[in-house]
Amino acid sequence: MSVAGVRRTFGPVVAVDQMTFTAPPGSVTALVGPNGSGKTTVMLMLASLLRPDLGQLRVAGHDPVAAPSEVRRRLGWMPDTFGSYDNLTAREVLEFFAAAHRMPRAARAARARELLALVHLEEFADAPVHVLSRGQKQRLGLARAIVHSPDVLLLDEPASGLDPRSRVDLRVLLRTLAGAGAAVLVSSHILAELEEMADRAVFVAGGHTTAEQTLTELRSADVLVPWRIRALDTDRLLTALRHYGVDFDARDASGVQVMLRGDADAAQLLTALMRDGVPVATIAPAGGALESAYLRLTEERR
Amino acid sequence: MKSTAAGIAAVAKHEIRVRLRTGRVRLLLAVWVLGLGALTTVLWRTVHDVNGLHQRGVPVFGGLMLMLLALSLLIVPTLAAQSINGDRERGVLAVLQVTLLTPAEIALGKLFAAWGVALVFLGLAVPIAASTLFMGGVGVGRLVITVLVVAVLMGVISAIAQCWSGLLSRTSTSSMVSYLSVFALTIGTLVVFGLALTSTRGTHTVTEQVPDYDAIVNGQITSTDQIPTRTETRTTDDVRPEKVWWLLAPNPFVILADAAPQKHKLSVNLQSNGDAEFTFDPLGGIAGAVRDVRDPNHTVDPLGARQSQSPVWPWGLAFDALLGLGAVTITTRRLRAPVKRIPRGVRLA
Repeated sequence: MSVAGVRRTFGPVVAVDQMTFTAPPGSVTALVGPNGSGKTTVMLMLASLLRPDLGQLRVAGHDPVAAPSEVRRRLGWMPDTFGSYDNLTAREVLEFFAAAHRMPRAARAARARELLALVHLEEFADAPVHVLSRGQKQRLGLARAIVHSPDVLLLDEPASGLDPRSRVDLRVLLRTLAGAGAAVLVSSHILAELEEMADRAVFVAGGHTTAEQTLTELRSADVLVPWRIRALDTDRLLTALRHYGVDFDARDASGVQVMLRGDADAAQLLTALMRDGVPVATIAPAGGALESAYLRLTEERR
Repeated sequence: MKSTAAGIAAVAKHEIRVRLRTGRVRLLLAVWVLGLGALTTVLWRTVHDVNGLHQRGVPVFGGLMLMLLALSLLIVPTLAAQSINGDRERGVLAVLQVTLLTPAEIALGKLFAAWGVALVFLGLAVPIAASTLFMGGVGVGRLVITVLVVAVLMGVISAIAQCWSGLLSRTSTSSMVSYLSVFALTIGTLVVFGLALTSTRGTHTVTEQVPDYDAIVNGQITSTDQIPTRTETRTTDDVRPEKVWWLLAPNPFVILADAAPQKHKLSVNLQSNGDAEFTFDPLGGIAGAVRDVRDPNHTVDPLGARQSQSPVWPWGLAFDALLGLGAVTITTRRLRAPVKRIPRGVRLA
């Protein structure tokens, strides 16, 4: 899946401009950016619903504008807000979408059963959709999106409204699909969540791509990221930090925040603190690499 | 991707299932059957007490079918006027558009579902209408033809209402405009015809068949069906309805009345015992009136015993059917994706 130099305007508003990124097969790509940065718009264009003004899109090797049905055959899309047929049962919804993807009649029931098991909704198979909770509906929406076993999966804010258990399930499911060779593009605001499931991250702001990196690159980046240290004796910790000349930012119940350059710096600081007998209880990055990168990029924008 | 019957059937089946589950339709169906049954009873009791009325089933049938059409014109728009924008509002349209279903399959499937529900209403009315077969004067052919005409008109109205639901983003607006469209076809055609008629006024020569009143006075005539005529040519300063008759043709009531076979105009026959016997047919009355508009020179007599052979309904039905086909075409176009423009107030997903 690739986006190259794509632009899209709505009247005078430029929603997406010069957006370029790729989401390769076999990996989960996170699409990260503030509200109104064009994430949903680019997903609508990839989903063959919206025509770009300029630029090239490729989904599973096909152009969503020129060959929408080739794209739809291989694409699963889960929008950020989607409705459901409240009076139908979960099974009926899935069987209908199987039919809509021209699956043979005989295969539909089996596929619906398989998907209900996959998203843990078996006991709700014959319950009308309106009795499902928000999280359960979200899972049904995901099952609906993958009814035709797509090679490419677009998920817009899939984790919103999901309880922790369902989030773990979602993460495992997306990793499984990517492991089977699918290209998965996920947008979310919950960066810690993305951090655990994504291989790559595309940062967008103001309609264009600001950075595109793998998570490994992000973690080893030569930039200052916040770490949090908690000690039994905070005053001794602060004295030691002043002595080392390390900048510290905040001091609250959760500890003291210091700016460090990657894991190597952290190891060095911890060794020094140990040597000087500072009773350190924990030292950990405050927020993940994704969050740090996100905050850094939005900082630059200001 | 080619559109297939299977794709249309999948959408239609799904839509009908969604509709019937709401329960609102079932309530409406019950009210419909009870209402039409009550109407038929009232009509029958009324004609039963009229002295000298011949073929009592005919006015009951005519009144019932006109009422059935009027009620259909009220119900059918509600079945289709929110089918596209309602789905969009509920956020279920876009996920349908990214499946392998073609725009035509979605449009036709939804249309057949709305039309199908409308036909259930019609189907339940058939036994009630068939009861008039036993009241005298109504033939099976008349029942079959009028039911078929109502069925086609229901499809046309469904297609128009659905088209508005595709064109307009708000469901309340599309409902209102659908009712305005029905209003335009019914009252609108009459108003436009009336206005156009006044503009046709001018001096012209007419050749027409007029009743030969001398023959009536001198002759032995026992029935209005036997009134002799003579040809008369005169110059007149009058309106020319035959120039604008086609403005009445798309009117559903005109089509229904004119398509019904075995029409009777109001006719009075003297029985051998001296009693007068008459026939009253609401459908025949409307049909006679519009045929006279199309072919005014044919006017035979004030009671209009003889029927013009220039039917209006084929033109009207063909026009309305084309309107329906056009509506389906526009709806299909509106369902195409990816789109260039998004109408104001529409959220794709």
